[in-house]
Amino acid sequence: MTEGREQDPGPPSDVVESDRPALDPVAREELITSNLGLAHQLARRFLHRGEPLDDLVQVASVALVKSVDRFDPERGVDFAAFATRTIIGELKRHFRDKGWAVRASRRVQELYLELGHATGTLVQQLGRNPTVAELAEATGASEEAVIEAIEAGQGYRAASIDASESEDDPMSARLGEHDSNYASVEDRALLGPALASLPEREQSILRMRFVEGLTQSEIAAAVGVSQMHVSRLLSSSLQKLRDGIGQAEAGRR
Amino acid sequence: MTETADRLENGDRIELKFPARGDLIVLARLVTSAISARAGFDIEELEDLRLAVGELCLLTLQGSDAQQGDLRLELSVLGDAIGVDCTLERAGMATAPAPDGDEVARLSEQILDALVDAHGREVHDGSVHAWLRKHRGGHAE
Repeated sequence: MTEGREQDPGPPSDVVESDRPALDPVAREELITSNLGLAHQLARRFLHRGEPLDDLVQVASVALVKSVDRFDPERGVDFAAFATRTIIGELKRHFRDKGWAVRASRRVQELYLELGHATGTLVQQLGRNPTVAELAEATGASEEAVIEAIEAGQGYRAASIDASESEDDPMSARLGEHDSNYASVEDRALLGPALASLPEREQSILRMRFVEGLTQSEIAAAVGVSQMHVSRLLSSSLQKLRDGIGQAEAGRR
Repeated sequence: MTETADRLENGDRIELKFPARGDLIVLARLVTSAISARAGFDIEELEDLRLAVGELCLLTLQGSDAQQGDLRLELSVLGDAIGVDCTLERAGMATAPAPDGDEVARLSEQILDALVDAHGREVHDGSVHAWLRKHRGGHAE
């Protein structure tokens, strides 16, 4: 069996109202009642966008009534298909009219921040890191939304990476001006080959500085060079890493 | 996020394979979000596509033994569109694949009608394949 569907160019809610005679009130009522389940099912498909189900069901139900009043059987279209398109169109319009796209982006950011607070609280309560399910329960969000916020939050966390560091030695100062570029898994994947291309001593110094957390003076003592020399080595090594990553990224494009 | 948001380009393709279980469709939706964002879809189009991919997976699972086989999802950037191909592999078919009249499958197809530019479904030799295409920049309603 093979089937394919290309969509009609025009949106369903733009369908010109037919000039057919209106349904008699009883038939109209029956058609609406028998399709309320469809409206409800479609409304549920739009949950987790920040709107209560009741509101969505109301939008969908109004759209169903609109479908019934606009439907023209002479067009040869199945009513359920026509109603589905109309209801989904109205549900989407509902979100569009409420500026959902802007709010959704803000909602993800807010959830990410909320997750930070909830994680802290749960760690204290549970004595371990919380699971996604526990975070979802604590924040009232779905597990899927929590996962999305965590994923989206990687960008925000990179921007505020200093927040968890001491004031006199922020991580950004240790990593250099491009610290946020190396924050994600994707960027670390780029970092690996670039790091491997450095001389062994430079790799060792970078590891002592950024993995083991030694100060430049401690590295100088360990390696047997001056602190100034360590500083210069770190600067040049970081520059090589940036260049290496830049080349790798350019190669991928 | 986002220096990575527009990294996917024409011809890029991502595959995801997971046990054919309804509770794992969330994986397909999450991957779809990430890919849509990186292919330049706006947030509303992204939501449409995510919803549509969920329906596509449901449609593919219709009539199968849900505890057998793998669901393979292939998402491709095709110019200004994203194509999604969903295949149920090595499935033990509990019944015949969902007939056109099947109510659940029909609802999924109606929802796909409203969300994407084109979609379809093919069944042969116990393998079910459903697909969709959606362009960015023009909201299918």
